[in-house]
This record gives sequence, structure tokens and C-alpha cells, in this order.
Amino acid sequence: MTTRPGPHARLTGGLLLWYGVLGGAVAWGVHVFAAWGLDELACAAGSERVAAVPLWQAVGLAVVIPALFTVGSLLVAALVWRRTRRAGEDDRAFGRSRMLAVVGVWSNLLFLAIIVLGGVAVLVLPPCQG
Amino acid sequence: MSTTTTPPPGVSAQDLARLAEHWAERPSLRGWFSTVDHKRIGRRYLVTAGFFFVLAGLSALVMRTQLARPEAGVVSPQEYNQLFSMHGTAMIFLFATPMLFGFGNFLVPLMIGSRDMAFPRLNAFGYWVFLFAGLFMWASLPFGAAPNNGWFAYAPLNQEQHNPGLHMDVYALGLLFLGISTTAASINFIVTALKLRAPGMSLNRVPLFVWAIVATAFMVIFALPALNADNLMLFLDRRFGTHFFDPSAGGNVLLWQHLFWIFGHPDVYIIVMPALGIVSAVLPAFTRRGVVGYPLIVLSIVSISIISFGVWVHHMFATGLPQLSYSFFSAASTIITIPSGIQIFAWLATMLLGRLVLRVPLLFVIGFVVTFVLGGFTGAMFAVTAFDQQVTDSYFVVAHFHYVLIGGAVFPMLAGIYYWLPKITGRMYHERLGRWAFWLVFAGMHVTFFPMHLYGLFGMPRRVYTYRSEPGWDGWNLVSTLGSYLLAVGLLLVLVGVVHAVRRGRPAPPDPWEGDSLEWSTASPPEPYNFPALPRVHSLHPAWDERTAESLGAGATADRILSDGRRTLVTSELDAHPERAVQMPESTLKPLVLAGALLIFFTSMLLAWYPAAAVAALAVVATIAVWLWPPRRPDEELGVTG
Amino acid sequence: MSDRGGVVAAATGAEALSTELPVGRSAGWWGMVMFVATEATLFACLLGSYFYLRFQYGPTWPPAGIEAPKLLTPLVMTAVLVPSSLPVVWAERGIRQGQRWRLQSGLAATMVLGVTFLALQASEYAEKLTQFTMTTDAYGSLFYLITGFHGLHVMVGLTMIGWLLAASLRGGSFGSHRHERVRNAAMYWHFVDLVWVAILFTIYLSPRL
Repeated sequence: MTTRPGPHARLTGGLLLWYGVLGGAVAWGVHVFAAWGLDELACAAGSERVAAVPLWQAVGLAVVIPALFTVGSLLVAALVWRRTRRAGEDDRAFGRSRMLAVVGVWSNLLFLAIIVLGGVAVLVLPPCQG
Repeated sequence: MSTTTTPPPGVSAQDLARLAEHWAERPSLRGWFSTVDHKRIGRRYLVTAGFFFVLAGLSALVMRTQLARPEAGVVSPQEYNQLFSMHGTAMIFLFATPMLFGFGNFLVPLMIGSRDMAFPRLNAFGYWVFLFAGLFMWASLPFGAAPNNGWFAYAPLNQEQHNPGLHMDVYALGLLFLGISTTAASINFIVTALKLRAPGMSLNRVPLFVWAIVATAFMVIFALPALNADNLMLFLDRRFGTHFFDPSAGGNVLLWQHLFWIFGHPDVYIIVMPALGIVSAVLPAFTRRGVVGYPLIVLSIVSISIISFGVWVHHMFATGLPQLSYSFFSAASTIITIPSGIQIFAWLATMLLGRLVLRVPLLFVIGFVVTFVLGGFTGAMFAVTAFDQQVTDSYFVVAHFHYVLIGGAVFPMLAGIYYWLPKITGRMYHERLGRWAFWLVFAGMHVTFFPMHLYGLFGMPRRVYTYRSEPGWDGWNLVSTLGSYLLAVGLLLVLVGVVHAVRRGRPAPPDPWEGDSLEWSTASPPEPYNFPALPRVHSLHPAWDERTAESLGAGATADRILSDGRRTLVTSELDAHPERAVQMPESTLKPLVLAGALLIFFTSMLLAWYPAAAVAALAVVATIAVWLWPPRRPDEELGVTG
Repeated sequence: MSDRGGVVAAATGAEALSTELPVGRSAGWWGMVMFVATEATLFACLLGSYFYLRFQYGPTWPPAGIEAPKLLTPLVMTAVLVPSSLPVVWAERGIRQGQRWRLQSGLAATMVLGVTFLALQASEYAEKLTQFTMTTDAYGSLFYLITGFHGLHVMVGLTMIGWLLAASLRGGSFGSHRHERVRNAAMYWHFVDLVWVAILFTIYLSPRL
């Protein structure tokens, strides 16, 4: 990289960094709310369908989409980690990005594990079994 | 507070005199009430929380005395209910969090190389509210009107028709009142850590204790509203006849539990997280190396604080929701153990790779590891549902959470007290007295609480004011009671040690432990302006780093001395590039007045003097309006065109 | 660097990925953001409680004896409150350029809209109170708690706006270099508006779904 990135590239890069760090956390939050809410409310209403979709498929979507979002976040975090390899003792911004990338890689792995472990139950349990 | 200290090489004597003039607070009664100095406020938090700890501890001693023998009559059942409720409520809300916030208040600005918190007056306000809310709750005990429904105050027992009197009104209003203080302090910590770090302290150089305090503050911001909403509805139910928790009119008792545990589970981490931060701060000085795996500990702090919001349902696995929805919460509850484990192993690795210096703070850290791991072990046992149902509401649970909370919070706090006492008071503690205190506290803790596992398994329920002489209960209860006296003697020795240090201790050098963070780069106790020149940070261990040390001395520059006014430096959020110097507020009585008006408001609400409450609410609004009223400035300075 | 690949390469370069973002916000701004965050969580808890009690209650909601809320008044209230953010934005932009008259007239317009909202809410209460009160059942408790708590927030917001207006009329308070308090109060006002939209959906629209 010889030229300095323009303002748009900088904005995108800055946002990408945060997607890499917090993407998994956000996806997991959405997943818990959506999957739990769907299951709880549909069962409380005594139905195993959400609109025309069977409930287990709807809950399944609330697992798969956040999981894919987390995988994307994981890849971005790994990319940041690779790109900031030449962080020196004095390159504060690179060092900071690199640390955030390490945090991002591991936290995305954790959140992916939570989503997958919770999501597997969709295949095993009937959605409204009390 | 001598003004005759020799200035460091880069700072002139005039600079030092000017700094002293702008920052010093004259020792007067008014000055005592109007101070906004984070160090004095931090000390007050520590002393006040310690005072509430003594009250809650004495309540526990009365209970243990009652339980020493079967069918004893030391207290009546009603008094016993109030004692265990106040013991739990005070330990959780009035001791643990404020004590750790006291450490945070004193240390965060010093550790990040700033001259005060971001909002010093809000800080003073937070302290006064904490003090008043604590007194408000404790004052109910002599009147026999203290909370009597346990610290989590489940519905429907907290409702007026089942529990008449002021007891639970005190609980609801007291916690709402206290919540103001906790929220204010949390906002202050977050903003301080974001904006006031010394130049050069990018996120990868922030001390772990500061990370822990900030993560805690974020948890408070998002968890405490659930408790506040809960208590607001409880108070409305009890006082104004609403039906939130009343199943006969469309309400639901489980709503209380949901909201309580949405707050309550993060609260476990709100209590333990800053204490773990203390461990990470103490270890480097006594292992002579940095904590192993800094980014992984940051990861652990950040991910615990997020995942802790997704596990609350595991307190309610017995309430009959669909199995599938439990699985999402079980997954989170399982995975959250990984980041917790990372921290423990990182500390063990630090001790293994470092050179141990076995002083009292390190003893308490080791005591912490042993006790906390045992508490975590019994915690994992609850995950076996059959076992959980067997021991729920027995003394086994009491044993478990005392291992977690005394191990996970009190031991690190005691380590922190001994570690920072030289910085806070400028005096060294007595090492042998400290060792005695450690061994008594450690032994007393285990003698008290280990038998509780046993008689919990033998079937003794918690929260009973007495028991029949069942086989296997009374002997172990007596052991617990003797242990609790031992623990009390140990804690008394800690207090004696602190008083002894303040009165007789030999003067402490600026850096008695050769610690790694910035608080050790300034005087003991620090001058009111903290640093003659704000540091320029070059590494994660600034006090071990020569270039940072130079920036405080020979390399000090005018833009970091800022002696022309009461000023500190604002830096950018992630990389701490200097942005501008800002004026800091002078001492003022308004925070005290505002907290006093709130006290009148909550007391009037409790006693149903609604006109007085309305007047107090108006006083609150007026005080805030006057507090924030902008000074008149000339148009050129403001930049007005038309 | 004009082609797509070049842009992607630039945005994923080490420098772009190390862009400092967010940057340059003031302490007051962060303080207000955190305050709004905690307040928003409080409202989320109250609205969550509404849905929880509603779905635990059973098929008829509101409970028998209370008719589903009428939409006309709340929609008018929405039409008054949500646009009231625009004069605040306009006023804030004005004072950034040092135009005090814009600050004052914008704030005054918002005051009028906010007070109108409260008056409409009072008239709605007057009608509803004949039908049910806070003590009728859990629905009544929720309705009055949530709308009342929001009304209280509107009042707090109006106090802030009135305070800004008073300080501005005195003179010597705000200008292009000093307008942080205007921005903070504006942020709070926008938050109060957004919460109303969530309440409109929860209390008024969701029983009809």
C-alpha cells in the first residue's frame, strides 16, 4: 500500500473492524431474541406455525442467518489480524487493531459455538415440548 | 500534601505552585462537603462501603449466633427475616459494588494518567446518593421495618396483601434510589476511560483493571434498568394498587423473576468482574512480570460482560417454558465458563512463569484462586438438574455463593486494600499483622462455609430462623458459628491493620511494590492534581517503561503540564491522540444539595407524604437547572453571528 | 484506484482497517449517549413486560370489559410529536453557524409541539379514565405506567428545551463554539420521540394485529 486510503475507504475500514470485533456478539443477541421469542410466543399461542412456515423452520432460520453473519465476522477479524501483522511497538493504531482482531477472532468463535450448540436443539427437540 | 516537593526535572517550581493553587481544596468544613476530588470521593466510597460491610457482617454474626444451637431464642422469626434480607441486600448492593467502585474511583484516573474523572461533580453526587440510600435502607432496621423477603424479594411474597408494612417499600425505594448512584458512576467510568486516557494509551495499552471497570459499567448500564423497572412496578403494586404481579387480575408473578434475573445474572459478574480486575492489577507486582495473555483476558472480560445477559433463564429452569427455548440459554451458560476459565489459567500461568514475592496481597490472591475455584466447582454441580432440584433452597446453595462471593470478591478486595493502602494513605501496613489477618480470614471463611455444604446435603433449608436437633445438623452448625467468629476476628485484624497503618505506619515511597501501572508513577498519596505532568504512554506497563518515565520527568512538555488553570487533557477514543485541554469543574455543594433533595423525595414517598415528595421533586429539577446553568460569555467567545 | 477492486483493497488495507472510529466526540456527548442507552433499556424492559403479560394472559387482549384502544388520538399525537424533532435539528444546525435566532425559534416551535402532545395525552386520559384505571387490571396498570412514564419523559425533555430557550434568551450562552448542551438536549428529545413510536406500536397497534 503506497497511497493513503481516502475518506470512504477509511470509513469502510473502520466499520469493518467493528464488524469483525462485535459482529458475533450482535448476531448472537439477535439470534437469542428471535429464536426464543418465536418459539415462546408461537407455543404460547398454541400454534406450531409462524404465518405459513412451520415453527421449527422459522426458528432454524433464526439460527442459520446469525450463524452465517458470525462466520463473516470471524473472517473479517482474521483478515484484520493478518493485515496488521507489521504492528510495531510504536505503531499504536496497528497494535490496537491487531489486539481488537485477536479479541474478535476468539469472541466470534465463542459466539459461533453458542449459536451452533443452541441451534442443534432445533433438529432434536419438537419446538413446543414443555 | 506538601507544596515543597522538589519538582521533577521537566516541571518548574512555578508550574508546581500554580498546579497546587488551582487544584488544592482548603481544609474546611465546607471544603469537606463540596469536594469533587476523585481520590477523596474514592476513599469515601471505600470507607462507607466498609461501614455497610460491618453492619451486614454483624447481622450475619447475630444469625450465626442464633443458629449455633437448635431452637435458640436470640432473635424472633420476624427479626431473623429482616436480618437475612438486609444481610444479603446490603452485601450485594451497599457493599460489593460500591466498594469496587471506590477502588475504581480512586484508581481509574491515576491508572490512565488523568487528573480527575470525566464528570467530577457527578462523581460527588453519586457518592452522596450512595451514602443516603444506604442510610435510608439501614435506618429501617431499628424501626423493625427492614426488607424481610430475601435479597431477591420474589413475588407474590413481596405483595402488600402477603407482606404488609413498610418492609418491601423500603426495599423497592431504597434500590431505586441507589440505582441513581450506580448508573451515574457507571456512565462516569465509561466516559472517563474513553476520553481521559493519557496520550499514547491506545486500547491495547489500557490496564486490565480499567477494562474490567468499564465492562462492569457497561453491564450496569444495560442490566440495572431491569431491576429499576421491577422495583417501580413492585412499588406501584404495593402502594397504588396496580396488578403487575397479581395473577387474579392479569398479572404474573414470574414477571418479577424474569426481570430480576435479567439484572441478577449480569449482577453476579458486576460484582466479580472488577474484583478479577484487581487480581490482574495486583499480580504483576508480585510475580515481577506482566499478566500472561493480555488480549485473551481482554477477550474474556468483554465476552463475559456480553454473554452474561443471555443466561438469566438458567435461574428459572423449573418454571415450565418450552424445552427448545431453554437450549439457547443453556448453550450460553455452558460457553460462558470458557472465558472465565481463560482468566484463571492466565493467572496461574503468570504465577508459574513469574518470580513470586509472597507478600500479603499475593496471599489473598492465592486464597482467592483456591476459594473461587471451589465455588465454581459446586456451581458446575448445579448444572446436573437432578442434583439442582435436590439442593435448591438448602444450605448447599448458601455455601456455594459464599464461596463465589467471598472468594471472588472479598479476597481480591482485601488484596487490593493491602496493595493500594500505601498509595491511598501514604503509609505502609504492618506485614505480620496482615499475615495473621489473612490466615484468620482464610481459615474462618472455610470453617464457616465448608460445613454448610454438608448440612445442606443433609437437608437443612436456608432462611430458617431455627431448627430441631436433627442428627447431623447441630454439630456442624456450631462449627459454622465458631468459624464465623474466627472470620470476624480476621476481618477485625484487617481493620486494625488499616488503622495502624494510617496512625503508625512508616511513610510509603511512591512505588513500594515496583508496580507496572501509572498510579505508581506519582506521589503516595498523590497530589490533588495527580501528576505534575501528564504522562505520555509508550507501552502496556508504563511504570516499567523508561520512555514513559521520561515523559513524566525530564521530557515533560507544557501541553502535558497544563498549569494555567484546573485543566486536564482529552484524548481520542481508541488511540488516545491528544485532542484538547479542558477546564475541570471547581468544588461545589450542589451535588450534596441534589442528593439531599432526592433523599427527601424518597423518604416522603416511603411515608406517603406526597405533597412533600412533590416539593422535593421540584427542588431536584431546580438544583439540576442551576447546576448546569451556563456562565455568561461574550459573543465573540461564543461565536454568534446573528 | 477508481475500479471496484481498488476500493475494496483500500478499505481492507491495514491503514483503513486501523481507522480510528468513533473519534473526536466530547465527554458530554458520550455521557448523553450512555444515559439514553440506559433509559432505552428501561423502556425496553417495560415494553417487554407488556408483551410478556399479554401473551401469558390469553386470547382476548385487552381483557374483557376494556375495548381495544382507538387509533385517532394516538395517531394525531404521533403526527405532533415525531415532527417536533425537525425544529430541534434546524435549531441545532443554526447555532452551529452562530445563528441565535434559529436556535430560539426552533426551540420555541418544539416547545409548542411538545405541549400540544401532552395536552392531547391529557384529553386521552380523561376519556380512558372513565373506562378503566391503573387499578382495574394488569392491562390498565401497563397502559398507564408505560404512557405515563413516557409522558414524564416528554416533560423532562420539555424542561430541557425550556431551559435551553431561557439560557439562550438571556444571551451569552450558546454560539458556534459552544453548543454542546443544545446537541445533548436534542439527542434526548429525539430519543423521547423514538420511544413514542415504539409505544404506539406496542400499546395501540399490536392489540389490533
